[in-house]
Amino acid sequence: MTPSPELIRELRASRPSAPAELRARVRAVASERPIRSPWASWRFPLRRGMLVAVPAAAALAIASAGVLGITRSESPEPISQAALEKSTLQASPEYDTSTAGSGQRAQRVSATLTVEVKDANAVSHAAQSALDLTRSLGGYVVASSVATGDEGSASITVRVPVDKVQDAITGLSDLGRLVSQQVTIDDLQQNLDELTRREASTRTQISRIRARLESETLDPQTEAVLRSRLQTLRADLVSIRGELAATNAGARMSTIQLSVVTPGATGAVAPASRIDRMIDEALNVLAWEGVVALGLLIVLAPFALVGLAAWLGRRVYRRHEEERLLAT
Amino acid sequence: MTIDVPRALDSTTPSFATLAEELLDDVYGYLLYLTKNWAVAEDLTGETFEAAFKKWRRFDPGRGTPRAWLLAIARSTALDWFRADARRRKREERAGAIEHARELTPFGEGFSAELAESLQALSAGEREVVALRIVLDLDGEETARLLGISVTAVSTRLSRALSKLEERMRDHDAVA
Repeated sequence: MTPSPELIRELRASRPSAPAELRARVRAVASERPIRSPWASWRFPLRRGMLVAVPAAAALAIASAGVLGITRSESPEPISQAALEKSTLQASPEYDTSTAGSGQRAQRVSATLTVEVKDANAVSHAAQSALDLTRSLGGYVVASSVATGDEGSASITVRVPVDKVQDAITGLSDLGRLVSQQVTIDDLQQNLDELTRREASTRTQISRIRARLESETLDPQTEAVLRSRLQTLRADLVSIRGELAATNAGARMSTIQLSVVTPGATGAVAPASRIDRMIDEALNVLAWEGVVALGLLIVLAPFALVGLAAWLGRRVYRRHEEERLLAT
Repeated sequence: MTIDVPRALDSTTPSFATLAEELLDDVYGYLLYLTKNWAVAEDLTGETFEAAFKKWRRFDPGRGTPRAWLLAIARSTALDWFRADARRRKREERAGAIEHARELTPFGEGFSAELAESLQALSAGEREVVALRIVLDLDGEETARLLGISVTAVSTRLSRALSKLEERMRDHDAVA
């Protein structure tokens, strides 16, 4: 239904005017000097703030990932000379039971190296060089396997005196491009101390039994028991001495396992370029940042949902209340 | 009238005093329609301009015209008054007293008796939309934004209010 123009005209014609008293009152209000507080007029620009904060946070996350990617993309370096000297000095070849408690500790040093050479011929040459180097350092070959062909590879296990392990690792690393390297040091001192104590105890017991058998007059049953015990103790002593010898040998010689590979050989890891490593590291950092952000989201989401529900509820309530008030 | 200004505090922005002078009738008219009580409308108009004066430095022209901004403050002030009035009425109902003052204070001067009586029959929400769309000549979008409803809802409410008003006016003429 279209309202009559007369009604519209009448409504507009009777447009209210503020009375003079009210006009004077409002003029008085408007002419007051405003109180200027630096904080009174300041309001955080939420939308503009978000427009700046979100891209800034994303840029910061990407930049930090890039910086960490660059710094972590360094090539793997051989273990420092100082670190090796320290470990090899502690594991001296002269170490034996007589040095127990002297402050030097018996240790087993083992290393695993992988070097890459350009082709199968170089594999053979590197394997031979490794054997020569081992012998020149006073060591020996435990196992050796060399495969030639289109994609050659070699696996050599050698043992060298522990004081030469540093020279051996350095020399073997120089046979090609070092792909990976792992040095493991196991402490043998506790085991050695225990074996030494058991050896001394066993020897003491043997001496006592022998003394009784030689000096005392024993009944046949007791004598039989003591002789049986003596036999057991002698067998234990032999076993303990064997273990002591093996432990000392372990502390004297280091085991080095060398793998020589070519770029195309099965199992050989193609060397990643600096840029590839940098991108990988940056992506890793980004992934971790994503995980942290997701974690925060999971923790904060329930609170945000409760807040949102409260805000929506209050808004709906206010809307209904307004409608109710204006319906009168 | 509509005053568009680019920034609240730049040189092209009118002063608050100028704005108050230009928009006083609009605010008073709106509040008079809403409350149908000239005395209450005067009080609320004064309160509106006091509140607006305090908030003037925070006014952002990018979010609306000064008139829409002032009318929003007026509406909020009026709703507070309605709430207080509803509470007062409840208290009086409980006490058994009936307040007649509101009914005894009509729209005031400038309205024909027929129009004033017909407007009294509308609800506050209906009078509000008549005031905004017909008397103050706000467009549908601005009115919808101010009332927090859709443009369609504004049209529906206005149509219903005018029909009711027209019917009342016709009845009045018939009786006369």
